[in-house]
Amino acid sequence: MRIVIAEDSVLLLDGLTRLLAAEGHTVTGHGTADSLVRALSTSDAELPDLLVTDVRMPPSHTDEGLRAAVHLRSLHPDLPVLVLSQYVEQSYATELFARGARGLGYVLKDRVADVDEFLDAVARVSGGGTVVDPEVVTQIIARHPGSDLDVLTRREREVLELMAEGRSNAAIADRLVVGLAAVEKHVTNILNKLGLPPAPDDHRRVLAVLRWLDQNGSR
Amino acid sequence: MTSDDGPAPVPQPRTLEDHVAPALVSGDAFFRAPYHPATWRAYAALGVGWIWHLTAGLTLWILVLVSAGVVPALGVGLPLLAVCLVAARWFGAAERARIAIQTGVTIPAPYPVPVARSLWSRLWAPIRDSRAWAATLYAFLAMFVSIAFFTIATALAAAAIAAVAFVAVGRSSALAEWSGLSWPATVVGALAGAVVLVWAASALAQYGSYLMVRLATILLGPSAADVAHARAAAAEQETRVAEAAAHTARERAVVLTESRTAAVSAADTERRRIERDLHDGAQQRLVALGVELGVARRLADKDPEHAVAALELAHREIKETLAELRDLVRGIHPAVLSDRGLDAALSALAGRSPVPVRVEVVGDLAPAGSAAQAAAYFVVAEALTNVAKHAGADSVWVRASLVPDDHPLRLRVAVCDDGRGGAEPSPGSGLEGLRGRVAALDGTFELDSPPGKGTRLTVEVPCAS
Repeated sequence: MRIVIAEDSVLLLDGLTRLLAAEGHTVTGHGTADSLVRALSTSDAELPDLLVTDVRMPPSHTDEGLRAAVHLRSLHPDLPVLVLSQYVEQSYATELFARGARGLGYVLKDRVADVDEFLDAVARVSGGGTVVDPEVVTQIIARHPGSDLDVLTRREREVLELMAEGRSNAAIADRLVVGLAAVEKHVTNILNKLGLPPAPDDHRRVLAVLRWLDQNGSR
Repeated sequence: MTSDDGPAPVPQPRTLEDHVAPALVSGDAFFRAPYHPATWRAYAALGVGWIWHLTAGLTLWILVLVSAGVVPALGVGLPLLAVCLVAARWFGAAERARIAIQTGVTIPAPYPVPVARSLWSRLWAPIRDSRAWAATLYAFLAMFVSIAFFTIATALAAAAIAAVAFVAVGRSSALAEWSGLSWPATVVGALAGAVVLVWAASALAQYGSYLMVRLATILLGPSAADVAHARAAAAEQETRVAEAAAHTARERAVVLTESRTAAVSAADTERRRIERDLHDGAQQRLVALGVELGVARRLADKDPEHAVAALELAHREIKETLAELRDLVRGIHPAVLSDRGLDAALSALAGRSPVPVRVEVVGDLAPAGSAAQAAAYFVVAEALTNVAKHAGADSVWVRASLVPDDHPLRLRVAVCDDGRGGAEPSPGSGLEGLRGRVAALDGTFELDSPPGKGTRLTVEVPCAS
């Protein structure tokens, strides 16, 4: 798989390149947010299979990477993008997922050190899935007033969190060590209880859940 | 001539009457009038006064009148009149001095005549001087007052003495027979008359002296217009002083507001710097380290050689991260500064500088206190960083000392280099940050950096008392 990395720390870029190479991927390009936007903005640009981008980058060291990701997604809605962020704050993720969640990932940078999880996120996002960092989900749910989630059972809440992370029913079943049928039942219950329509695919489900949490959450 | 009917300036705490003529205002003083000190002072003042008025005073006002009379013959009259009026002022001064000595009443001098430039104005100035005319009038009036009161009071006193003498020796005199009264009745009448005469003489003497001093106060002191003018000038001066003080206070408030803003922004900049350093430095390194270790773990079985390489990389990164953290911590607050003081901390700074640094510490800096020492340390640290980055210098000289004989105590640091100069604190630069930091401490910041002639930075910070 051809991967482009936007990362200004040479050390980390080096480590990621070798990690991905060891997994059989090819890092076809790297640079800062600006140079990537320039390279990939044209309609005939050769798109990689995945763009991995840091959020904080020169020149201003604020959120160049995130803005570049949002911009490139508006030009190429099918370009899978995995954002590595230093910020656990929900607002950054909300900005990224504002126009869809298909083939989009938002994970904390520290997650990279957890190599297996990082590679899992790379695989899921490039395959059109959605990844939301568990810590971001935890924070979103933590900010939620408990009352309206009280309708959910404890197990349903666990399932909700995994749904919000963008995991498929099969992955949830795997994680919770239960049968697929049981997970499907939980998901139906959750969607019913929260008044959400049943969603055919995982990434739409993530979006619905995240939006529901966002709208009903306290600011 | 001016007529002065405004309040005369009497500097004494008591009123003029209390002091010069107490018999007229107090029953007790009237009762003691014959042997009251005020009576003797009054006699003396009138006695010397009438002689002085009849000689100098009379001469003066006659001369003034005569010279004024011959003014139509301009060539002679005017200069003579001018001279006489100048003399009138002298007479006034002498009279004030005499009154001060004899009665203890100090009359302030009138304001001097402004010095004129041309000969003509010099001639005119005394003639237009209303106070000189007032003194002339005084010479005229005081003469009558002093002569009249001295004569009458003396006559009354003499009559009293005569009455007593008559009692003593006049039993068989023609006067005793002429009165037709019995001798005892005559004695009682004469003694009663003597008593009345003595008291009348004393009271008249005091009153005469009072009139004379009062006249002098009105005619020989400053005119009411002058007093009003002086008061207005004093009030104006007071207003100016108050305004200046208010202005200073306002300026101080502006300076303090600015320095407080600078302090807040310096602290904010500092926090951002620390956050960025941690974020882009240690945190990135640790993530990279995690990646290396993850790679090593995944490769451990199938590719041990690459796994070891990754581990070595990770090891090197740990050491670099530690060094970076150490630098960062030192940048927040160097331990050597709190443990060993500014002297040792400056030496440590010098040791780390890529440009050779000579450090000179004058005396013991301990009295400066930790806050001032820390400020000085960061000034030098930032200055040395700037020198290394921009100055292209061959050597640097750092000097730290307490400013001698200064209260409150101030700590001075100077950093000089032989580089290319031309340094200036542009917004966002390290020098600007330094200036904010120093301003926040109410210190002074002086940068002398002529192009091609090196840079000299001198900073003084007040020490906490």
